[in-house]
Amino acid sequence: MATENATPIFACSGLSYAYLERFPALDDVSLTIRRGEKIALIGANGCGKSTLLKVLDGLVFPDTGTYRAFDAAVTEENLEDEQFSRGFRSRVGFVFQNSDAQVFSPTVREEIAFGPLNMGLTRDQVNARVDDTLTMLDITDLAERAPYQLSGGQKKRVAIASVLVMNPEVLLFDEPTASLDPRTQQWLVELIAELGAAGKTIVLATHDLDRLEVLADRCIVFSEDHRVVAEGPPARILADLDLLLSVNLVHEHRHAHGPVVHSHLHGAEHHVDRHSG
Amino acid sequence: MSEDHSAPSMGTPDWLIRGEVAMCPCGCIGKRKKGSFVEKTLNGTASIMRQAMFGDDMASRDGLLQRVDARVKVVALVGLLIVAALVRNIPVLIVMYLATLVLASASALPLGFFIKRVWLFIPIFTGIVVLPAAFSFITPGEIVVPLWTWNGHQVGLTNQGLTAVGLIVIRVATSVSLVVLVTLTTPWNKLLAGLRALMVPRIFILIIGMAYRYVFLLLNSVTDMYTARKARQVGNDQGQVKEGQRFVAATAGALFGKSHALSEEVYMAMVSRGYRGDARTLEGFRLTAIDFFFIAGCIVASVLILGGDHLVGH
Repeated sequence: MATENATPIFACSGLSYAYLERFPALDDVSLTIRRGEKIALIGANGCGKSTLLKVLDGLVFPDTGTYRAFDAAVTEENLEDEQFSRGFRSRVGFVFQNSDAQVFSPTVREEIAFGPLNMGLTRDQVNARVDDTLTMLDITDLAERAPYQLSGGQKKRVAIASVLVMNPEVLLFDEPTASLDPRTQQWLVELIAELGAAGKTIVLATHDLDRLEVLADRCIVFSEDHRVVAEGPPARILADLDLLLSVNLVHEHRHAHGPVVHSHLHGAEHHVDRHSG
Repeated sequence: MSEDHSAPSMGTPDWLIRGEVAMCPCGCIGKRKKGSFVEKTLNGTASIMRQAMFGDDMASRDGLLQRVDARVKVVALVGLLIVAALVRNIPVLIVMYLATLVLASASALPLGFFIKRVWLFIPIFTGIVVLPAAFSFITPGEIVVPLWTWNGHQVGLTNQGLTAVGLIVIRVATSVSLVVLVTLTTPWNKLLAGLRALMVPRIFILIIGMAYRYVFLLLNSVTDMYTARKARQVGNDQGQVKEGQRFVAATAGALFGKSHALSEEVYMAMVSRGYRGDARTLEGFRLTAIDFFFIAGCIVASVLILGGDHLVGH
């Protein structure tokens, strides 16, 4: 579990980013992430959570502001250095929201081997790691399958395996539980909790307010104008209904109980009555 | 607070709450027509998926060639294609063709399908191209089938011409059978890996592998778009050519946009896992006893075929 004085591994200061220099995605975002923390980025669709994850993974670079990881500046130029790039890529793993984009190899085995091969491990080491990861995620029987033969849940497992096999210190998840069946969602939440307990730092973008307290020990809330408006433990954030309403994470909802229609706040299954019938 | 809860909220328009007049199931409204381009495209995409699954099924059967390493098969294929090109006698080529049939049945391939796959196209492509060579005005010689006389000269099919045509046709059939044998008994990804044995660059194999993988995703997108159109289509679309063309163009544009966005995301996913432009693949090249027997068998067969051809030729 992270403590206040644990070493910061990611430090962002004044990050701004706009797609095509016209569509803003991040506006003056500053945050620090410490070793072993479980962080949830929450906010309405299009608020910049996914873009921030891409910045944290060194895939897009901010227009202004600085981003430091493991005490080194992460810039396009630095990542061109092979030694820095290899070190950074093996320490930070990113599970994309769209598993189809992440599972690109002809077979599951090759997919999982892709990262370790790029890390420069020998074939025997790669094979041993792939086998261990397949067993850990219970997908050994999928090893020789092609991606088009997999279900959504199986693809997600393969995508996670392809990242875990590199043994990263930090795991970034972009809406991990989106479009998964309830059983796979539960499995994934438990896996994330297990990885957190094993000392991995976890940063995830999510809309899953029900599971926020299991998924994270700190939440960072984004407003629709791409700024960080609040941060704190899940219980405190979820109790602040005015904050959740202002960032459009919950909404006023009307529904009926028999002949009575009443209104209350609603965000996923998290709802608090404001009026009684 | 109490009110009529069936009343529409949030300004739902009236027409959305009322039902629409549906088609009468007896067919008294409109005419039944089929065969629109939507239907055809849906059938086409389904058939590609079916063929891919059929191919995977063949390649995973428990047969002789399925047990041989893909690299060994690719190298043996190239060797045997060269042998087939060197043979100059029809009977020897026929023996070679029959051997491919034996291999096909030893590899649990349905023989009828295997023969059809080879012979369906040979008469069309090779046959038409080489047929003129059978005539006396292209290949002079002993006329065995006289057809007509022209300026006092007999025109017809010559013995030499027919032999040349027969030789080419059976050579093509044998070569195509060998290729079909290898492609049907090897999963696509292993076949690609097998190309490494022929010194094909890794990056080329990586790109082809990814292209094949994403064809299925785009096929699914096509199916979704056409199914969505079919679901909203009332009546038939005959005579609405312009509208149809617009839809096909829009689909193509949407697919192009989708593949572009996808390619960017795939590239990011590769970079995120340490890709720096060098393709590395998991190649485990371990020959088993069956691979050695197979190589030895191919060498012995090649020597016998070339020796036999030499003997028959004299």
